Amino acid sequence: MNILALTAVRACSAVVLVFGCGAALAQAVQSVTLPLETARLKPSKLAGYQIAMQKCGICHSADYISQQPPAMTAAQWTAEVRKMEHAYAAPLSDTDVAQIGEYLAVTYGGAKPTLGPVAAAQPAPAASAGAPAGEVDVQAVLKANACLGCHAVAQKIVGPAYHDVAVKYKNDPQALARLEASIKAGGSGKWGSVVMPPFANLSPQELKALAGFVLKQ
Amino acid sequence: MNHRDEHDARRRAFLQRAGLGAAAMGVFPLQGLAAGHETLPFGNGERELVTYPGKRPLLRVTTRPPHLETPFSAFSEGAITPNNAFFVRYHLANIPLRIDAKTYRLRVGGHVKQSLSLSLAELKALAAPVEVVAVNQCSGNSRGFFEPRVFGAQLGNGSMGNARWVGVPLRAVLEKAGVLPGARQVALNGLDTPVLPRTPDFIKALNIDLALSAEPIVAWSMNGADIPFLNGYPIKLIVPGYFGTYWVKHLSEIVVMDHGFDGFFMSTAYRVPDNACQCVPAGTVPTATRPITTLPVRSFITSVAGGARVPAGKALHLKGIAFDGGSGIRKVEVSEDGQQWRDATLGKDLGRFSFREWSFDMTPQRKGELKLLVRATNLRGDVQPATASWNPGGYARNVVETTRLLAV
Repeated sequence: MNILALTAVRACSAVVLVFGCGAALAQAVQSVTLPLETARLKPSKLAGYQIAMQKCGICHSADYISQQPPAMTAAQWTAEVRKMEHAYAAPLSDTDVAQIGEYLAVTYGGAKPTLGPVAAAQPAPAASAGAPAGEVDVQAVLKANACLGCHAVAQKIVGPAYHDVAVKYKNDPQALARLEASIKAGGSGKWGSVVMPPFANLSPQELKALAGFVLKQ
Repeated sequence: MNHRDEHDARRRAFLQRAGLGAAAMGVFPLQGLAAGHETLPFGNGERELVTYPGKRPLLRVTTRPPHLETPFSAFSEGAITPNNAFFVRYHLANIPLRIDAKTYRLRVGGHVKQSLSLSLAELKALAAPVEVVAVNQCSGNSRGFFEPRVFGAQLGNGSMGNARWVGVPLRAVLEKAGVLPGARQVALNGLDTPVLPRTPDFIKALNIDLALSAEPIVAWSMNGADIPFLNGYPIKLIVPGYFGTYWVKHLSEIVVMDHGFDGFFMSTAYRVPDNACQCVPAGTVPTATRPITTLPVRSFITSVAGGARVPAGKALHLKGIAFDGGSGIRKVEVSEDGQQWRDATLGKDLGRFSFREWSFDMTPQRKGELKLLVRATNLRGDVQPATASWNPGGYARNVVETTRLLAV
């Protein structure tokens, strides 16, 4: 198995002998390649599921959640999500905290749902759902789906910079369709080991507008 | 067979299959690298065995940030935990993936006469290298066994390890910079950073007396090799006797302070109830807390796993480990009933911060369940408690361990 990718001077050569062999060892450039992330949140019709995929995943993988004790209550789960907001600065609104708390308690703790039905919390703004791609408010869609939690235009955060995506697809005639598909289905491996969640809730117009926006950066 | 034993038996079966499977498959790509499973004996205790760079298959706690636990069977291999078996724990997902030792710098500043930016060669030249064999144990090791359960990384007993570390004393670094009068704490930071700019960075602090004592070292060598990447290459802070939370990986920044450091990972996280037992009644909130510090005395049987079958009427040679926060181990005792205790024989002394091996010869007298308890006493006179205490962080567990075997 390919373990540490050592690209360096590991020999105790005459040149470095003056520093001793230990010094020669320390000249190594070392790097690691982490395995692809495979853990996924348990699917649910509860609104908190979508929000959890988009926001919890900014900082940690889903196995953080699935390994927690089996019988934690809704109050305990909600307090834990609140801690993510307060202690770790997770970008969560009060509604997000309540809905993620409910989703986790119901899905991982066996609690009963207490909040309203799912439709109330589709993250994409309904106003742009039926509009042509040209009329979609891209900034509103980016905000509503927490895209900017993981992506920025100019630099990598968790996912690639939009500019880097645009460069990669610059000469690809299928770029728009590929990007729409990537946003809709999510995935991992193209830009690193971290998983991007699927955004299947977005309308075709919103997908087209987002993909077009990214390719222009 | 009780619930826990069933878990143990299943775990062994899995491991046997996993071993055969790994051998048959040979080279394995980085993804899909599950090499089997183990089931830790508590709810949601199923763990994948996964192979990370520089590591043998370890139990995956979380993928991002990487958090891997040592399968407990590794501790039966001896007093020193091999580098490729040593547990891995990061708090923040933005971890370094490539490090060039040639350009690496350790910066020292704050309340000092002169700030420093040391290359590794300059660091190594500061003082004669020192060596210590010391246990690195996660504050939350064994958290999964807390009752009632608490949130956090759900660890079995494998988030610990014992290694031979070589480096220079931290105080040699501080003396080179020249600590000014009035210094109170030393903050220590590594290359790992948070994903979001407002998430607190993982920075730890030592009181100035500890920082200037002979014990903490800035190490570059672990068991005679470079420190594995995922354990903090190229340099790691070693604080013998203290929990692993202080053992900062990829150490890059040391700041001397004339006040107490108040970052999140000192002022809010990694705190224990401020009393002698570091405990509160289960489910309650402590009125006062303090930062976690040293390892309470612990011991384990390592030669045989819970649920194993041993022959009745035949000699059984038990082996295990004991350790504490640096006074050293005075004695280890074994009992079958928690009433009558008999002394085990202590093994080679590798230093007061090391695992101390022990052995005990016995013969299971009759068929049926054989309950073995092991209890260590350190040189300060601290004895492991018979019943588990509780704290909301799930820290510093050190109850007497019970291993249930089946004599057949």
